[in-house]
Amino acid sequence: MPQLTYLEAIRQGIWGEMERDPSVFCLGEDIGIYGGAFKVTDGFIDRFGPERVIDTPIAESAIVGAAFGASLTGLRPVAEFQFMDFIGCAFNQIVNMVAKAHYRWGAPAPLVIRGPSGGNVHGGPFHSQNPEMWVVHAPGLKVVCPASAYDAKGLITASIRDNNPVIFFEHKYLYRRIKEEVPADDYLVPLGKARVARAGRDLSIITYAAMVYVALEAGEILAKEGIEIEVLDLRTLAPLDRQAIAATVRKTNKVILLHEDVKTGGIGGEISAVINEEAFDDLDGPIVRIAAQDSPVPFSPPQEEYFLPKVSDVVREARRLKAY
Amino acid sequence: MASKKKTSVSSNGRKARVPQPVASSQRCYNIQDYRLEKPCFTLKQVRDGDEVRYECEGDLSASVPPLRASKYLSREQLVEIYRWMLLNRRLEAALENLYKQGKVVGGVYFGLGQEACSCASAYALGKDDWMGPMIRNQGSLLVRGFPPRDIMMQYMAKAGSPTRGRDASSHFGDLYKRNVVAPISTLGDLIPVLSGVALGARLQGRRIAVMTYVGDGGQSTGVTYEGINFAAVQSLGLVLFVENNLWGYSTPADMQFRVKDLAERAIAYGIRGVIVDGTDACQVYDAAHEACERARRGEGPTLIEAKMMRMKGHAIHDAAEYVPKPLFEYWRKRDPVSRLEKHLVGKNWLTRDQNERLIEDVERELEADREFAVAAPMPQPESAAGGVYCEGGCHEVKPKYGIGKAVVPKTRKQGEEAAPLK
Repeated sequence: MPQLTYLEAIRQGIWGEMERDPSVFCLGEDIGIYGGAFKVTDGFIDRFGPERVIDTPIAESAIVGAAFGASLTGLRPVAEFQFMDFIGCAFNQIVNMVAKAHYRWGAPAPLVIRGPSGGNVHGGPFHSQNPEMWVVHAPGLKVVCPASAYDAKGLITASIRDNNPVIFFEHKYLYRRIKEEVPADDYLVPLGKARVARAGRDLSIITYAAMVYVALEAGEILAKEGIEIEVLDLRTLAPLDRQAIAATVRKTNKVILLHEDVKTGGIGGEISAVINEEAFDDLDGPIVRIAAQDSPVPFSPPQEEYFLPKVSDVVREARRLKAY
Repeated sequence: MASKKKTSVSSNGRKARVPQPVASSQRCYNIQDYRLEKPCFTLKQVRDGDEVRYECEGDLSASVPPLRASKYLSREQLVEIYRWMLLNRRLEAALENLYKQGKVVGGVYFGLGQEACSCASAYALGKDDWMGPMIRNQGSLLVRGFPPRDIMMQYMAKAGSPTRGRDASSHFGDLYKRNVVAPISTLGDLIPVLSGVALGARLQGRRIAVMTYVGDGGQSTGVTYEGINFAAVQSLGLVLFVENNLWGYSTPADMQFRVKDLAERAIAYGIRGVIVDGTDACQVYDAAHEACERARRGEGPTLIEAKMMRMKGHAIHDAAEYVPKPLFEYWRKRDPVSRLEKHLVGKNWLTRDQNERLIEDVERELEADREFAVAAPMPQPESAAGGVYCEGGCHEVKPKYGIGKAVVPKTRKQGEEAAPLK
């Protein structure tokens, strides 16, 4: 199997769907001749033509509105946001126009809004955010946050084929840092299903996206101390895989919720409530949250490092929880 | 390259000069103005003793001109538009009565004074074209084929309403038969969406007209700019009616923008701009028809400003006491339904007898639908559940027009993998 980066895996997934299904097309800022700010759509315009790879004005509401309109005619638009921070520019179209369409008037909206999110690349307050909870709170949207290259390809393929609007967060720190074997053929990773990234018996870390690697690294350190942690990679934040969350808690009885998003209003609070509802009696210790501090993402590298959850935070909290 | 005058042969065989770029100081722009009268007045906030109120400055004494003869409509078609406008008018009267009887959930929104704009515009659409109404365009929904009972049941939140009780008023659509996109409450948001519908159709090898509406208030939003500009750069078949009804809730148009006519904004978008008297069904239709034809020829968007006045408050709770009384008097003389009735009867295209029978017919239709809608059941509480996602095969998604050749480049080879990144 060929080795692909996380970015190449996403690119191959979209490319494959463009080849397979003529109703798929891409639109966004600088995605054509330039190939996208991060080069996810590099070469697409040469292959599929400017009709299906559309460079748009810098207008996120128009991008989402036009994608939604095209989806109403039965097409499957893939809209790129240059940075997912810019969801704010198109918020009304996303949460009021698109998300509510099927519930209100039975209009399926098979579109994907995708783009880079996340920090640790010194992008500052407007190019580093993890705005997934802005959209998780709007019923009707599916929200996907892949961690591995394999998942990234399978999830983008599943997202394009899904009949619902999918907001697809690509962690930009992982774009070229993750490389692994990815099948050349198309395959699906189902939306709404978490995966166990590391099996363990002592405690569970429930996380997603770049923080999966922080959890796995902590797991290696803790293994040397005899603490075997399980890492659950959520993959999809909406719909949330409640069963997988309950299953890992039942197995290890102790849980750390880890995310790069800020603590207040992050998915950790929601998962904590899910555990309370599904597996309260299985808990042998307090639910621990590790998340970014409640502030904008600071620019300067030492400040950003302070802001982001670290391996040392996970190791420290795991030791404390194990002792319960 | 040496400068030389380019020439080409025109259709009459003589050499014609190809238009050359001109200096910016020489540029001129053309807004087509269909109106037979050009009302000129402004609204200002003035202090009057203890209170601040709106005052109208300008001449309101002009007499009402005749309707402009349509270049395209037959007598029969104009009578048909008149019937839609009557249905629109009387439907809203029925809704007001239902409200007073306590049968409506929430408020009622009226298009009183705007029936020509709604009905004659939608009448210009073909079967394959699309339309997205705003809150006052109930007439457009009627023309598009929704029966009055659907609108009544929306207002009464009935189980049998098009949204099965889930949304109100004109907030419904139909993807399959009538090509109508459901609006949301926020303003201007349908503009990029309808543009996207035209884009989707074009990717399937079809050029269609897509019509939507925005008000003098709604056009202040950012999404209005984004949507029109997107349609402009993509040369999409958007037909945008800017319904300048002088009031955005209680705020007059003069406090929404500084241009004299909203159609001037078409110049800045680089698209065609037209002004019509929104109370003249013939002008509205002709402008809509020409814009739709341009759209279907792939010539891009048209912005049509229709001037008229909202003759009731924002919604039924609002008595519109902030509107200066002389303005109501001025526009009441320009009532679109009465003007068209006078036009048709005056030309004897509709006899008084025929007119009476037509009115009776409309009333009968509304009464039957009113009875149906009132008797219809409310939804079961648990019907609020489900349908958040499209799942379990509830809807099939497939290209509505079939994929045309436009989207498959000639160099396409089956099974080619994504080439490695450069």
